[in-house]
Amino acid sequence: MGVVKAAFVLTLTRMFRFLMILAVVTGIAQASPVAKSLVRIEATSQEPDYKAPWNPGEVSGGVGAGFIISGNRIMTNAHVVSNARFLTVSKEGDPKPRPARVLFIAHDCDLALLAVDEPGFFNGTTALEFGAIPAIESVVSVYGYPIGGNRLSVTKGIVSRIDFQTYTHSGMDSHLTIQIDAAINPGNSGGPVMQNGKVVGVAFQGYSGDVAQNVGYMIPTPVIKRFLKDVEDGHYDRYVDLALSYHTLFNPAARRALGLKDDDLGVLVGSVYGGGSSDGIVNPGDVLTAIDGLPIASDATIPMDDDSVPLAEVVERKFKGDQVTLDVVRNGKPQRLKIPLSDPWPFNLHSNVYDEDPRFVVFGGLIFQPVDQNFMTAHQPDDLRLRYMFDFFIEDKIYKERPEIIVLSGILADPVNAYANDFRYAIVDEINGAKIKRLADVAEQFAKPADYYVIKMAGVGRPIVLERKAVEEARKRILSRYAVTKEQNL
Amino acid sequence: MTTRPLLLLVLLCLPAMGGVTPQPKIKTDKAVEASNSSILRVNSTDQSYDFFRPWTKKAPFSRRGLGTLIEGGRILVTAELVANNTFIELEKAATAEKSSATVERVDYEGNLAVLRPTDPAFIAGMKPMELDRGVKVGDRATVLQLEPNGEIAQTQGTVTSIAVGSYPLDNMGLLLFRLSAPMQQRDGSFTLPAVRDGKLLGLLMRYDARSQTADLISAPVIAHFLREAAKATYGGFARAGLAFSTTRDPQLRRYIGLNEPGGVYVTDVLTGGAADKAGLHKGDVILAVDGKAIDQDGNYEDAEFGRIAFSHITNTVSHPGDTLGFRIFRDGKTLEIPVKMEARDRSKILSESYVVDRAPRYIVLGGVVFMELSRPYLQEWGANWLKEAPQRLVFYDAFQNELPQDRGKIVFISQILPSPDTIGYEGLDNLVVSKVNGREIRSLDDLAEAAKYPVNGFQKIELEEDPGVLFLDAAAIEANRDKLIKKYSLPALQRL
Repeated sequence: MGVVKAAFVLTLTRMFRFLMILAVVTGIAQASPVAKSLVRIEATSQEPDYKAPWNPGEVSGGVGAGFIISGNRIMTNAHVVSNARFLTVSKEGDPKPRPARVLFIAHDCDLALLAVDEPGFFNGTTALEFGAIPAIESVVSVYGYPIGGNRLSVTKGIVSRIDFQTYTHSGMDSHLTIQIDAAINPGNSGGPVMQNGKVVGVAFQGYSGDVAQNVGYMIPTPVIKRFLKDVEDGHYDRYVDLALSYHTLFNPAARRALGLKDDDLGVLVGSVYGGGSSDGIVNPGDVLTAIDGLPIASDATIPMDDDSVPLAEVVERKFKGDQVTLDVVRNGKPQRLKIPLSDPWPFNLHSNVYDEDPRFVVFGGLIFQPVDQNFMTAHQPDDLRLRYMFDFFIEDKIYKERPEIIVLSGILADPVNAYANDFRYAIVDEINGAKIKRLADVAEQFAKPADYYVIKMAGVGRPIVLERKAVEEARKRILSRYAVTKEQNL
Repeated sequence: MTTRPLLLLVLLCLPAMGGVTPQPKIKTDKAVEASNSSILRVNSTDQSYDFFRPWTKKAPFSRRGLGTLIEGGRILVTAELVANNTFIELEKAATAEKSSATVERVDYEGNLAVLRPTDPAFIAGMKPMELDRGVKVGDRATVLQLEPNGEIAQTQGTVTSIAVGSYPLDNMGLLLFRLSAPMQQRDGSFTLPAVRDGKLLGLLMRYDARSQTADLISAPVIAHFLREAAKATYGGFARAGLAFSTTRDPQLRRYIGLNEPGGVYVTDVLTGGAADKAGLHKGDVILAVDGKAIDQDGNYEDAEFGRIAFSHITNTVSHPGDTLGFRIFRDGKTLEIPVKMEARDRSKILSESYVVDRAPRYIVLGGVVFMELSRPYLQEWGANWLKEAPQRLVFYDAFQNELPQDRGKIVFISQILPSPDTIGYEGLDNLVVSKVNGREIRSLDDLAEAAKYPVNGFQKIELEEDPGVLFLDAAAIEANRDKLIKKYSLPALQRL
């Protein structure tokens, strides 16, 4: 895909050079009105290694922007500080980088808040305030530290479009997004987009030039304000979701067959996902006609803030435990349903995951891992059965039988596993007769004493048989030969 | 690909074909001139259906190859040469005299066809070629090609291996001769005979220019095909309908208590296939077939060809209807199980691996196009179809053997031809249909029948996936029928 996140381009070595140059050129003109609010964030992060999951992973560095808001907090993008091991922030005009730490991070909307513990850091700074959604065609200014130079950069553009977009940081979540025609480049991430002295967005992603030109995206204030409200209780809860799919209802025959008037209202529910908010309350085939009293047009939009927005926007502004009211037509009869909103599990499987170490079990040189988006990105397996279970995990309710898909992800070659090579990326079905539903089940079965460990894979194939004696004999040898520092992370 | 190397699909057949008498070895080249009187150029105009627009054929193209005259005034070629043919022309190499021919018998699993000249006099004076039945690894062979002037070009090669390998159209495992020969690209190289001492030992069906190796359809496979072709009812190539893996792993052998030196572990049994009917199970170990001991890798010692996969016995040596004894190791005991060999009943295949010489079936209902899933449909996405074709359909095709026996065909909406009746449905495609008007759909015939009974004036189409259900106004689509046919130039609204 063409969408790229706008941070991390600099390697660790380049970043150090960057810092030295910065020391020479500080103290030059600070004409910008946001100079007292802007910070440069340097992050040293460590990407987990899903192919050798016991390894701590590669260290890399990057630069992004942030800005000071009320309560001595710094706002930036989640992707600027994800997997961070060490963070520093530098104020405009202050030569010294100061250590910072993450207060809250919301990967599903790509926002984070940082704290700086050094006393006096916020003296003389100005906390920025948030504005509303800027009008289409109005001018905005983008501040940050994009490639092309070391110092603060300002670009100007107009608001091109207001729509839902996928947030590429998680890859799964879509929220309201504002498209602007100002250039947004790596290093702009986390920087404020200003209009009339107020923040109207946080720059966060764009297209690379070979896909589209002058297309930059910012996170608008409804998303930012929701994040700030969510963390008021000291914890970030994630977005809530109806966990259902719906479809436009333009076809006149379909409308009549469903008992609807010719009034261009209503959308058809296609699927209701198990374990989600609507499970057991909404049925496939229901027609949604209103959400919290707002009429739903047949193109799945609702009137809100003098505009027509996707109906999901109502749920977007709610929190865990809130309710939403749906008016539906079921079997030709109107009904009113109340949905208590909860986490959108099992959607998380298809989200990129950050700040978590890969989970695995190594036994007899065989590496077992649960499949998630990070795993698929790292391994890119061709195995059809694995791809099927991953792709259709939600739609075909695979999670009912396998809350986690466990695969034999790699083989540390050794005499004990000399004949297991054909099973790479096979899905583990049973170990010694016990169904494997989670990674913990794998560890549990291997911890039980048995003469043979018989591993059955999903689909056709012979079982893998490991003799306990052989596994025990091979254990130290495999761990030292392959420098495996840890045998499991559950 | 999901096929792991350990899962060799074995296809069974039966009795030995006559006594195989090794031919006395003579020098190679000399008899080639004689073959000139047995070789004909075959020009086939082929035209396949367009699975994206199942009511049309793609542009015709021609394939050229060399046919070999065999006894009975017939001409032997590969099935690929004449697949989807619209016209076949025979051409005498020396005189460029031409005559037409028709396909008398074709087998796409064995990749062989026999042609019959329309005019029997056309081949008068030509000499039929016999099969060479005594080929060994290391033997020399000559591949024949034709120069534009009608002269025969000969390429000498060496048989480097004899093994069971996959034949192109159905991945059937049959005996292959591999020949190492530095061939040149020539016009009309689609089927080429390989001969020795004036006898046919195989037909070249693929050539890898980089490694300079050619795969030949082997004489035993040709003999099997000809023997079946001589029968009143053509039986084809039988298969056991099972998959196995090796038992090389000593830990596996000890775990299942297998003390014998050989045997392969049955990993899958095709429901309704020969092995299934005979009572073989997943987990059985096959120790011997037809009295021949099977080693850990699934090979046996063949009197003619040495160590080759036992599927040669089941697929080529045996014929449909023959019974082969399987010695099985199960739960610590050894059993003898007779397996009555049979060819695959292609009408029971959920998603066919090939559809040739016949049109894909379809129904257009008010602009909604319905088809039955087949691999050629998915292959329209090109070489990378496994990743690029609609994934749910790819998975249905790949895992079809795991679906319930009565699942029937996978009927799906392949596309929508936008019309006033399909407003709002534009862009929907590749959606699997479960019911129409409340009736289960297991074939397009079911769909044609169900469409006769609209519910409350609507055609109600239920889908296995989002959006779940579509409605069409039954009276409106009937009224708009002719307009739809005209607008999209459809020859017919259905072909069943």
